[in-house]
Amino acid sequence: MPDTAPIRLLLVDDEPGLREPLAEYLSRQGFAVTQAASAAEARSILRDDVPDLVLLDIMMPGEDGLSLCRHLSEARAIPTILLTAKGEAMDRIIGLEIGADDYVVKPFEPRELVARIRSVLRRAAKGAAAPVEDELFEFEGWQLDPLKRRLTSPEGALVSISSVEFRLLMAFLEHPRQVLDRDRLLDMVQGREAHLFDRAVDNQVSRLRRKIEVDSRNPTMIQTVWGGGYMLAADVRRIKAPA
Amino acid sequence: MKPDHPFLARLWPRSLQGQLLLGIALAVLLAQGISAALLWRAQVERREAALIHTAAIRIVTASREAAEEQIERRRPGSRLLAAARQLRIERLDASPLRPGDVREHEAEEELAEILTNQGMEITSAVVVHRPLGDDPRLAGKLARQAAMMGEHGRPQPDHLLVAAVEQKAGGWLLVRVPVPKGDPAIMASFIGQTLLLFALLVGAIALIVGRITRPLAALTRRLERFAATRTADGQMQPEGPDDIRRLIVAHNAMEGRIAALLDEKDVMLGAIGHDLKTPLAALRVRIESVEDEGERAKMAATIEDIVRSLDDILSLARVGRPSDPREPTELSALVANIAEEFEDMGEPVSFAPSERIVVPLRTTWLRRALRNLVSNALRYGQSARITLTRENGFAVIRVEDDGPGIPDADLERMLEPFTRGDPSRNSVTGGAGLGLTLARAIAEQHGGSLRLANRQSAGGVSGLIATLMLPLG
Repeated sequence: MPDTAPIRLLLVDDEPGLREPLAEYLSRQGFAVTQAASAAEARSILRDDVPDLVLLDIMMPGEDGLSLCRHLSEARAIPTILLTAKGEAMDRIIGLEIGADDYVVKPFEPRELVARIRSVLRRAAKGAAAPVEDELFEFEGWQLDPLKRRLTSPEGALVSISSVEFRLLMAFLEHPRQVLDRDRLLDMVQGREAHLFDRAVDNQVSRLRRKIEVDSRNPTMIQTVWGGGYMLAADVRRIKAPA
Repeated sequence: MKPDHPFLARLWPRSLQGQLLLGIALAVLLAQGISAALLWRAQVERREAALIHTAAIRIVTASREAAEEQIERRRPGSRLLAAARQLRIERLDASPLRPGDVREHEAEEELAEILTNQGMEITSAVVVHRPLGDDPRLAGKLARQAAMMGEHGRPQPDHLLVAAVEQKAGGWLLVRVPVPKGDPAIMASFIGQTLLLFALLVGAIALIVGRITRPLAALTRRLERFAATRTADGQMQPEGPDDIRRLIVAHNAMEGRIAALLDEKDVMLGAIGHDLKTPLAALRVRIESVEDEGERAKMAATIEDIVRSLDDILSLARVGRPSDPREPTELSALVANIAEEFEDMGEPVSFAPSERIVVPLRTTWLRRALRNLVSNALRYGQSARITLTRENGFAVIRVEDDGPGIPDADLERMLEPFTRGDPSRNSVTGGAGLGLTLARAIAEQHGGSLRLANRQSAGGVSGLIATLMLPLG
């Protein structure tokens, strides 16, 4: 984002060995970085100043990152990316449930982090799809929990979908029985995997079909519209998530 | 000590309670049988003795009456009396023994002894049993008696005890005593008693044994659960007899210690993971300032290798004690997901469309296993083909490659930790060699298995097949 004020980041990590070089790297990338060594310090900085985005380490002595993250998302609506040393067990669950916008697993590739920062800010700027709490989408017996990113089949089985497929499905569920052309889908779905996605909208649609259609060669739910794009041919209900 | 015979083996109880009960029941049955036989014999002997006494009294009476007989004869009606007396006693000149008679020697001695004690002088005694039909008159009298008494009378005698003595003075005295049938009511009450005693004993023992075996069975279930979950939640309350109580207390203590050790291990591993990954993350950031792009890429690759090994080691250490529950999961979507991940990285991985199979899974673990199998296929076989089928209660995932395979002798060893196929390639391929070990451990965590096999074709081995089997239920 050239010719504007630099994006301001707050980097919260108790480990100076990581925090300092990372702050240095991000500064070189054109960000204005403030550092905090603990959640308490971060809170005191946040009292005077609202950054554009917070990078937050989870494992910190004292108040941990998750608790601060909850505070940030509930009270301040500041976009947050979690830095975590934990791996797969965290997958899709924690960060998204407690309101973080994204997370990276240490040791992350710094460029990847920069790409995520830009992607999260882009989505935040669009005011995009912060999922409404406690709401599930139901269609043809299927259920999608946007918060946990869990898709369950009519038989109640968990169906794995990638994050691109998740956003694609969200786009369809928010516009049922409407024709969505490829550009529109691309626009709605663009996230951190944008570089993967724009290569092949069609490919992603066929992957999604493979997971939710009874016969992916004769799709009934996600239909191809000639010359147009795709359409979800199902009624969508929003239901309250069970506690 | 299990019987070899298949039929007996089927009846043989397997549980402690069953075997104890069977043993005790058999012992009680045997003891009851012996005592029943003894009692029966005693009863028979008592009856026999009573008959002999009856016979003896009649003989003694008869010999004493002999003196008065002269007077008797003069009285009126004496003929009738004589006939009646003849029913009870008969005088003979010769031995009443007939061919085919079986003499009861013990009874004869007893009879002789009683008579001698009564002052009678006899030279020999004969006791035999004869059928009732042998004496039509007596039989007729008994039949009339029975008719008068109706059905409530004593059971009809079926034979006679015939006792005869030869008097020193010459001549034989013979008496007939009807032998009453063995009373079936006595036998029935005896069997009833036996059964009642048997039921009481076995019932009481079943209660006692149950008190012992119930907590034992609960402890066994608890052990099985602990082996599967390895958490000390839901421990048993001590119950049952003191010995069992102490066993349960000791077991709970041991479980607690094991769980504490495992918890400690998890905390330690978490700390190791965190403490190593943070400096690695710092290093990863710092190498961004390296000018030479080629050098920087190599450094990044090295860090990635370290991280991957670290992840594998940490996962392997935790695989036996997963913290997440299993959830019914659509396996074909999950496999497709993994195949697509590799596709997106430009790797030649294919997944043939398959039917939908729902299996209870821990998805993060299973993804890891599949990724490892596919990476392994790509590393040694350049391409990977995945299939998913349903076979005999299992979901079967096969990952095939077109590589050189593995010498048959090394197939098993490949699943052991820190083993890699071709030692010369270690430096290029990296990794700690835990991929397959971890995949197998994850399969086992789900109650399944992982097997490796070479794919044979006309020209010899044409690739490796990794078969991951997961139980459907």
